[in-house]
Amino acid sequence: MSGNGKDFEPRIVGFLCNWCTYSAADTAGVSRMKQPPNVDVIRVMCTGRVDPTFVLKAFVEGADGVIVSGCHPPGDCHYNNGNFKTFRRMPLVEALLAQYGVDEGRFHWGWISGAEAPKWAKLVHDFTEQVRELGPLDWKQQLESKEE
Amino acid sequence: MATLTIDGVQVTAEEGQTILDVALENGIEIPTLCSHPLLEPYGACRLCVVEIIRRGWPRIETACTYPAWDGIEVNTKAPQVMEARKVILEMMLSRTPNVPIIQDLAREYGITEPPFPAEAPDEKCILCGLCVRTCHELVKADVLNYSAQGIERRVGPPFLEKTRQCIGCGACSIMCPTGAIEIVLEQEAVYQEKPLGPTSAVWVPSLQAIPRVPVIDKDSCIHFRQQDRSEGKIDDACMACQMLCEVDAINFEQEDEIIELDVGAIIVATGFEMWDATKLSQYSYGQSPNILTGLEFERLSNSAGITGGEIVTAEGKEPERVAIIHCVGSRDHNAHEYCSRFCCMYSLKQAHLVRDKTDASVYEFYMDMRAFGSGYEEFYERVQKEEGITMVRGRGASVEVLSNGKLRVKGDDADLGELVHVDVDMVLLSTAVEAPHDSSEVASMFGLSRKPDGFFAEAHPKLRPVETNTDGVFLAGSIQGPKDVPDTVGHAGAAASMALALLDKGEVVISPQVAIVDEKLCSACKTCISLCPYTAIAFVDEDNVARINEALCKGCGTCVAACPAGAITAQHFTTEQIMAQIEGLFRVPAEVEEGVKA
Amino acid sequence: MNTSKTQKHRADLLVSCVHDRAPDLIPALEAEVKRRGLEGEVKVVEAGCRGFCSMGPVLLIQPDGTFYVNVQPADVPEMVEETLVKGRVVERMTYQEPSSHACALYEDISFYSKQHRIVLRNCGMLNPASVEEYIAVGGYEAVGKALFDMTPEGVIEEVKKAGLRGRGGAGFAAARKWETGRKAEGDIKYVLANGDEGDPNCFMDRALMEADPHSILEGMIIGAYAMDAHQGYIYIPYEHTLSVKTMRNAIESARAYGLIGEDILGSGFDFEVEVRVGAHSFVGGESTALMHAIEGTVSEPRPKHIHTTEVGLWGKPTCLNNVKTWNLVPEIIGKGAEWFASIGTEKSTGTQVFSLAGKINNVGLAEVPMGTTIRELIFDVGGGIPNGREFKAIQIGGPSGGAVPASLLDMPMDYETLEEAGSMMGTGGVVVLDDRSCVIDVARYFLDFLKDQSCGKCSSCREGIRYMLEMLTNITEGKGKMSDLEVLERMGKSVKISSMCGLGKSVPNPVLSTLRHFRDEYVAHIEDHKCPAGVCKALIEHYINDQCNGCGLCLRKCPQDAITGEKKELHTIDAEKCIQCGVCFDVCRFDAVGVR
Repeated sequence: MSGNGKDFEPRIVGFLCNWCTYSAADTAGVSRMKQPPNVDVIRVMCTGRVDPTFVLKAFVEGADGVIVSGCHPPGDCHYNNGNFKTFRRMPLVEALLAQYGVDEGRFHWGWISGAEAPKWAKLVHDFTEQVRELGPLDWKQQLESKEE
Repeated sequence: MATLTIDGVQVTAEEGQTILDVALENGIEIPTLCSHPLLEPYGACRLCVVEIIRRGWPRIETACTYPAWDGIEVNTKAPQVMEARKVILEMMLSRTPNVPIIQDLAREYGITEPPFPAEAPDEKCILCGLCVRTCHELVKADVLNYSAQGIERRVGPPFLEKTRQCIGCGACSIMCPTGAIEIVLEQEAVYQEKPLGPTSAVWVPSLQAIPRVPVIDKDSCIHFRQQDRSEGKIDDACMACQMLCEVDAINFEQEDEIIELDVGAIIVATGFEMWDATKLSQYSYGQSPNILTGLEFERLSNSAGITGGEIVTAEGKEPERVAIIHCVGSRDHNAHEYCSRFCCMYSLKQAHLVRDKTDASVYEFYMDMRAFGSGYEEFYERVQKEEGITMVRGRGASVEVLSNGKLRVKGDDADLGELVHVDVDMVLLSTAVEAPHDSSEVASMFGLSRKPDGFFAEAHPKLRPVETNTDGVFLAGSIQGPKDVPDTVGHAGAAASMALALLDKGEVVISPQVAIVDEKLCSACKTCISLCPYTAIAFVDEDNVARINEALCKGCGTCVAACPAGAITAQHFTTEQIMAQIEGLFRVPAEVEEGVKA
Repeated sequence: MNTSKTQKHRADLLVSCVHDRAPDLIPALEAEVKRRGLEGEVKVVEAGCRGFCSMGPVLLIQPDGTFYVNVQPADVPEMVEETLVKGRVVERMTYQEPSSHACALYEDISFYSKQHRIVLRNCGMLNPASVEEYIAVGGYEAVGKALFDMTPEGVIEEVKKAGLRGRGGAGFAAARKWETGRKAEGDIKYVLANGDEGDPNCFMDRALMEADPHSILEGMIIGAYAMDAHQGYIYIPYEHTLSVKTMRNAIESARAYGLIGEDILGSGFDFEVEVRVGAHSFVGGESTALMHAIEGTVSEPRPKHIHTTEVGLWGKPTCLNNVKTWNLVPEIIGKGAEWFASIGTEKSTGTQVFSLAGKINNVGLAEVPMGTTIRELIFDVGGGIPNGREFKAIQIGGPSGGAVPASLLDMPMDYETLEEAGSMMGTGGVVVLDDRSCVIDVARYFLDFLKDQSCGKCSSCREGIRYMLEMLTNITEGKGKMSDLEVLERMGKSVKISSMCGLGKSVPNPVLSTLRHFRDEYVAHIEDHKCPAGVCKALIEHYINDQCNGCGLCLRKCPQDAITGEKKELHTIDAEKCIQCGVCFDVCRFDAVGVR
C-alpha cells in the first residue's frame, strides 16, 4: 500500500456535494477527462453535512489527502447557504490538522460548480501530485503501532 | 338621436355629430380639406358648404361645423353650393397650382386651368390649419400658429423661428395634406428610426406573437413625451389612438407592476440574446449601415418594417450582390465555441428571400451546413439548385468597407483551396446567440445552475431535459441551449407537461433523505434551529426538544454536522454510513487479501 | 352743467379734442384764467369728444352756450379778455355756417341743432374722469330703478318694448339676446361690451368710451342684472390708449360709489367688470373673435350655430353688445320704452350715430333718428359737399357696407331699407363721394383695407379679397377685361354665401353694390380706358387749358417739376413727368387744370 518516490500512489478521499462538485466529477468522468485514479469520492447532499470528524476519520483510516468541495458561494448552494457553513467550519479543521502535525498540503477545501468539470479534473491531477510529493502520511500504521 | 334628410335620403344622427359626420357615414360625399376626425370642427376651407333648410329657412353653412339637428333638410349639391365650391377651388388652384389634392378637386369641379396667375407657384400650404390644430389640440405643444392676417396669413412657429417648444413629434407633417411641412432632424430631435425598434409610437413588437398585441413606445408616444416634458402637467396630449379605438382597448394608465403569485411549478423561459458582432472587429459591424445581422435583415424584409419589406441598401437602392457569412461568433474560439444551431437554416432562408425579392447574386460563406431538421436538407438542396446561390465553403474571414461604400468580403474557399474575395453591396452576418446577459441573476433567483456555455443546466442531458435540480422548476426553450422554432415548441411543450403533471397530482413526493432528531439525546441547545435554511426545525417547549418537520426538510445535513449532542441523524447519510464508507475505502477485501497470501 | 360740490363757478370752459390736436390748450387756458385772477369764477374742464372733427379743437362756454371752433393756444388771451371779462363774442372764432352767417351759440349751429343726441347725450358736456358729474346729470338713476323697482324680466320687457336693436352693425334685437342669455343654463354668465371698432374712418365707440364711460358701465350693470350675470368685460384694442385709461378710471370711480362690486347700492346684486385689452383688427370686433381674444387665443371667428348667448366666452352663456347699445339702456330704463320707441321708425327705433367722412363739409359724428333720409344727413347735418360739387354716392357701413347712389338720396336710413339697397347700416360709417370720387377706387380701397384686416381663416374670404382686389386693381390701372365683371359678380356672390362670419359675408359688398349701381363706370374703365371721376391715375391725364393766366402756383406746387411756362403765359404739363397726383388741379384758382 505504501511506498516512496515515484512508486508511491497517494490515497485521497473527496467529500463532494451532490449538486455541484459531485456532478462536475460525474461530467468529467462521462466526458472521459483524463485524471489520476487516486481520489475516492464520498457523496454528501451538501458540504454543510461534512462533519470535521469525517476528515479526521479519513486520515485515521489511511488517507494521504482529503478534499472537501461544494458549490460556489454566495448563490450556488442548492440549500441556499450550506456552503457558508462549510466556509466557516473548514478553517477550523485546517487549524486542528495543523495541531496534529498534518502537512498543510494534504487538506483541500473549495468550490467547483457543476459546469466546471475540467476544473475538477485539474484539481484531481494537481492535488494528487502535491500529495505524492509530500509522501505517505501513514497515520494508520503509526496509530496501530502505538496501540501495540 | 336625430332624424334629418340629406339629398332626399332620410338618415339618423347621434348626439354631437355634424352633418359631415352623418353624410360620410351614409356614403354621401362632401369635399373637405380642413376637417379631421381627431380634431374639433374648424370650418376654414369652406368647401363643405351645403344648403340647410331649418324651420323652413334655407341657409348656406359648412357641413363640418353644423350640428346634425333633428328635422333639418340638407342639400349637398344645391346649385349655389356647387358654384361656391367651384369659385373657392378656382381661387385655391390659383394660389397653389401645384398641389395635387387641389388639382384633383379642381378637376372634379370642372376647372382645368387656374384663372389667376400664382404669386408663388411652389406654395404648398393651403392654410387648412390641420397642423396648427394638431399641435394645439392633440400634441398640446402650441408651437404652430398663424401669423399675419388676411391674405398674408401663414403658418409657423412664433416669429417663424426655430423654437425649443417643438418636441419634434412630426404630427403636423403627418397631418398635412399637401406635404408642406418637412421635418428636419437636428441633434436634439428624438424622433428617429431604429432599425429593430418601433416603426411608430404604436407598434407590434413581435408580428408572429399570439395574441398579436400592439404596444405603445413611450419614447416616441406624444402622450408620454409631453407628460415627461411637462413633469405631468400636460397629461392629456394626443390620445389619438384612444379616440380611434372602437373597442376601448387603449389604457394609458397601464404600468409595469410586480405581481405576486403562489404557484406550484415554475417554467423558466428567458430565451436568448443576439451576440454583439462588434466584438469581432474583422467583420466591421457598425462601420457601414449595409452590414446587418440576421435579425436586422428580418426586420428589413418584413412587410411591417421600415421599408415595407423592400430589400434595399441604406442608400435606398436594390443591392446587386449580397454576402451572407455563417458562424459569426459561433464555433469560434475567440467568441462562442458552441454551434448556434439555427443560423444555417435562417441564412438559407434569407438567401432565398434576397433572390425572391431582388435580382441580387448571393454568396454564402459557410463552414459546413447543419440542415438536420425535417425538410431542411431538401430546402438546402433547393436554394442551391433552383435559386443559383453561390455557396462558398469556408469561413468568411473579414469584411472591409471600401472607399466607394462597397463591402469586400474575404474568405477561405476550402474546395478551391485558396483565398477568395467578393465586393458586395450588403453583408448579412449570421451572428451567434447567447444566454441573456442577466442569466446569473435568474439562476440564483431559482437556485439553478448553468453550463459552461452560459445556458442553463437541465437535470440530466439525456433523461431529464426540461427539469432542473430544483424541484418544481422547469426550463423551456433556448434558456437550455440554442433551439430553432420546432425544437423550442417541443421543449416548451415538455416543460408544460411536466409542470402540469406535478400540479395535477395534487401532492408532492419528497425525498426520504431527511434529518431526524433523537429526542432522547437532544440537549435542547437550539444550535440547529438557526442553522436550518428552511426553518424546518422547531423547538418544542413542552417536550424541551428540537423537532424536524419532514415535509420542510430538504436533507442537506447541515444540522447533523453541527449538533453538539450528536442527536440528529441524516437519513441515508447517517454518520455511521459515511464512517463505514470511509472505512470501506481502506479495507482490503478478504478475497484480495487471500489472493495476495496465495 | 358742472356741479362741483365745493365751488360754484360763474362759467365752465368745456374744451374738446385737445388730446391729440392741442395738448397745450388746456394749460394755456388755465394759465390765462389764473393770470386774470378768475380761478374761483371760471373752471376749465377737459371734456370728451363733441364730434365736430372738421372744427376742432372746440370750446363751449357754459352756461351761456358760446361756442368757439378751431381754438388755438394763441387765441386764449383774446378770448379770455373779450368773452370772460368783457362778455363779448369773438366773431372770428365762431362757426361759419356754409350758408355764410356766423353762429355764436352752440344751439344755433345746424350741425348740432339738427341732430338728436341720445347716445352722444353727454359727450363733450361733462368731464369723463368725474363720476360725480355723470351722477349730477342723472347718471346711475336707471341702475337704482332697475335694481329696486324692476324685476330682471321687467327690464328685458322694457328693452323689448323699446325695440332696441344692437348698435354693433347687425341690428339684432337686444331683448331677444338678453332673453336667451337669461334662460341659458349655467352658474356663470358673462356680459361683454364690444369696444373694438374696426371700420376705417369710424370712431364713435372710441369717442363714447372717452367722453361718457359711465353710461356704458351703467348699461352693463342693468344688462347683467337682467341676465343674472356677475362678471363683465369691456374689450378695447390696445391702440386706443385713452379709451382704456378712461374706462378703467370709470370702473374704479364707480366702484368707490358702490356701483360696481358686491351688493350694488345695497341691492344684494353683485357685478364685477374689467377692461380687457387686445390687438386691433377689423375682424377683432366679430363676437367670437373678440371672445377668443379675451380668452387669450388667436382672434378669429368660429361658427355660431349655437349662439354665444348659450355657449360663449369660456363656454359660458355670454351676452355681447356694442358699447353704444349698453349706453342706450339707461336712457330706455330711465325715460321709458315708449319714449325710445317714439323715435325713429317702427322697426328701427331710436337714433343712429353716423361717422361722416369723405367729401362733406361737417366731418364728424352725427346722431340722427333712424329713418332720417340720406339727404337730411348729408345736407342738413353734414353741411353738404365742399366747393359746391355734385353729390355722387355714399358708402355706408364701412368695408362691409355698400355704395348708395345719388338716385336714392331720399331713401330713409334704417336697417332693412339699407340692406335692400345692397348696403348696410353697419356701425354707421359714412363716406361721402362726389363727382371727383371713383367708386371703383373706393371699392378697391376697402378691399385693400380688408386684405390684412380679415383674419384669413376662411379660404372664401381670404382668397376672395385677394383676387377681387387683384381684379379691381387691374381695372383701375386700365388692365381690366369685360369678363372680369362677370367673374367679380360670381366670386362676390359665392364669397357672400360661403364665408363664416359677418365680415367674410360682407367682404364683397363694396364690389357688388358698386357693380350694381355704377356698372357704367366699370365699363368706362375697361372699354374706354377712362376714369370718369378722374381719380385712377393710369387712366387720366392732367392738362392745362386756356383759362391759365400763368400765375405759376401749380408750377411751384408740382412735386415732379412737370409744369413749365413763363410768368403770365400759358403753362403746360409734361405728360412724361406727370404722375397724375392732382396737386395742380387742387391749387388752380382759375379752373385751368383739366383732367381727361
